Amino acid sequence: MSALGHLKIVSQLLDLPIIDKDERSCGIVDDVELEGRPGKEMKVAALLVGPGAYDGRMPAWLLWLTRQIAGDRMARVPADQIDEIGAVVKLKSCGEDLGLHQVEDKVRAWIPRKGAL
Amino acid sequence: MNPLELTLGIMTAVGGFVDISELVFAAKAGSMFGYALIWAFVLGTIGMSVFGEMSGRVAAIAKQPVFNLMRHRLGLKLGLVTLIGSLISTLITCAAEVGGMALILNYLTGLPYPLLAVASVIVVSASMWVLPFKWIERTYGLLGLMMIVFAVAVVAIHPPWAKLIGGAVPQVPSGLSSKELLNYSYFIVAILSAVLFPYESYFYSSGGIEEGWGAKDLLTNRVTCTVGFGLGSLLAISILAASAQLFGPLNVGPEIPGTSALEAAIPFGRVGLMLALLGMLFAVAGAAVETCMSNAYAVSQFFGWEWGRHAKPWEAPRFTLAWIAVMLLALLIVLTGVDVMSLVEYAVLFSIIVLPLTYLPLMLLANDKSYMREHANKWLAKGLGWLFFVIVTCAAIAAIPLYLLTSGGSG
Amino acid sequence: MRWLLLPLLLLAACSKGPEADLPYISQARSLAAEWALINEQASQGKLTPTYIETMRKSVREQLQTSAKALSEPQSGYAKEIQAVLKEPDGARPEELRAHAARLKQVEDSLESA
Repeated sequence: MSALGHLKIVSQLLDLPIIDKDERSCGIVDDVELEGRPGKEMKVAALLVGPGAYDGRMPAWLLWLTRQIAGDRMARVPADQIDEIGAVVKLKSCGEDLGLHQVEDKVRAWIPRKGAL
Repeated sequence: MNPLELTLGIMTAVGGFVDISELVFAAKAGSMFGYALIWAFVLGTIGMSVFGEMSGRVAAIAKQPVFNLMRHRLGLKLGLVTLIGSLISTLITCAAEVGGMALILNYLTGLPYPLLAVASVIVVSASMWVLPFKWIERTYGLLGLMMIVFAVAVVAIHPPWAKLIGGAVPQVPSGLSSKELLNYSYFIVAILSAVLFPYESYFYSSGGIEEGWGAKDLLTNRVTCTVGFGLGSLLAISILAASAQLFGPLNVGPEIPGTSALEAAIPFGRVGLMLALLGMLFAVAGAAVETCMSNAYAVSQFFGWEWGRHAKPWEAPRFTLAWIAVMLLALLIVLTGVDVMSLVEYAVLFSIIVLPLTYLPLMLLANDKSYMREHANKWLAKGLGWLFFVIVTCAAIAAIPLYLLTSGGSG
Repeated sequence: MRWLLLPLLLLAACSKGPEADLPYISQARSLAAEWALINEQASQGKLTPTYIETMRKSVREQLQTSAKALSEPQSGYAKEIQAVLKEPDGARPEELRAHAARLKQVEDSLESA
């Protein structure tokens, strides 16, 4: 399935894994930004990735707990960066260019680069 | 299909089938009810083969592991409930395996249990750091094949074969009091839970992705799940059968995991004892690795992090921290002094409750032609899948009442 | 609030007494039998010294735990469990099995009650 055309946001897009052009995991589609007006065609403007996108998707107490643990960062992936939507969302660019690997890169600094075969 | 790879895969599945929960419940079931609960292991193994084959097929065709697709199917809220339930049940199971390793090492070396728990975690963690995925799986699975001594021991003690084979037919033994009937029911639920642990599907499907499975590997997947799991189940059934023959008549429960090793010592002496203890050690260690990695897979896949041991630890940093954290938490639980047998009871209890939420998305995914194309479930997989889903749901509902009414199968 | 009293009293009654001790009697019976089996196999040279020592230690520790958990410490079965604990490490398997058999009788009579 390509990124163009009609799609069902909940069953075909929301909560799908995202991978970049290098086949690296870049998070999950945590929410979707739409553009349009009442009575007009709605379009996907961007994918929202990160715990900052959980607002409205979980009870308030759980959202508060999630924010305490994971913070409220959110990355915005413009719709024109989407290459394909199927079992996963494939992006046209690298995750770094879209700010999707910031936490992974921070954590990587803690992991020694030794000993693994 | 490479015959050597397939043989190694089957042998790994055989050696890796039994964990501390199956060890404990097989021995107790044999002692309490003779051969009458063999059918529960057979039923559980068929269920495991059905769901294992489905999860491997989903990994090979959709190229995504179960937890990724599960979140998409269930949504964030229900997905989180499943994730948290699964993390808790698998963490308790991991702690039981770490405690089991420490106990077995204590029987081998006489060194203090807490020290051995720490040593076990260090060695297992080191193996997970150093070895790539395939060799993690193979090392423990192949060394766990020493458990075959239990199967050989059963032959050596000349059990009543007709009765043993008859135990594979679903039954309710006659003459049971109402308390014994409740205990029998509890053991059915516990055995199903121990064989169908959710971590096994997560680990198996993630392992398929780690090994780069595709459509060409579907036959390997099917053979591993049927032959591998089937033969592995025979090891668990051997422990039950030997317990029925050797322990039941002597009023041995058993209450201590190490007593099971006597099943090999009685016919074969010290050689049998050592093979049994070493086989148990590697089987339980393999299960510790699987449960630990399964939790790291689950949380990484749920949040879309880089994951897997096909990558070096620093290439999937949050996944690496996740499995280290799981191992440390399991060790902390063990060091609180909670009894390994209690951990095993809690593990099977929590796992059976989470099982329906684990298998429902898997069923829906494996049925979905938009992901699976011509490899979606056909009538047999669909029929068996839904049948086992109903069975595990009934078991999940009955689990807590039975646990309370029977004091965990002991009264 | 008096309507709560009866169920609470019933609950309190259920949590004490021989019926409540049944799991611990069952554990103690099995442990005595396991100890007997270990000693029997040890006398035939089928076990390693480390295994024998660690298993006997585990049996004692678990027996002590069972004994402490009993709600009727002056009962006949409690005294039987104490008698098992007084046995030496290398006790004769027949003696230990006799203890297990007596605890099994208590178990059976409680289960059929």
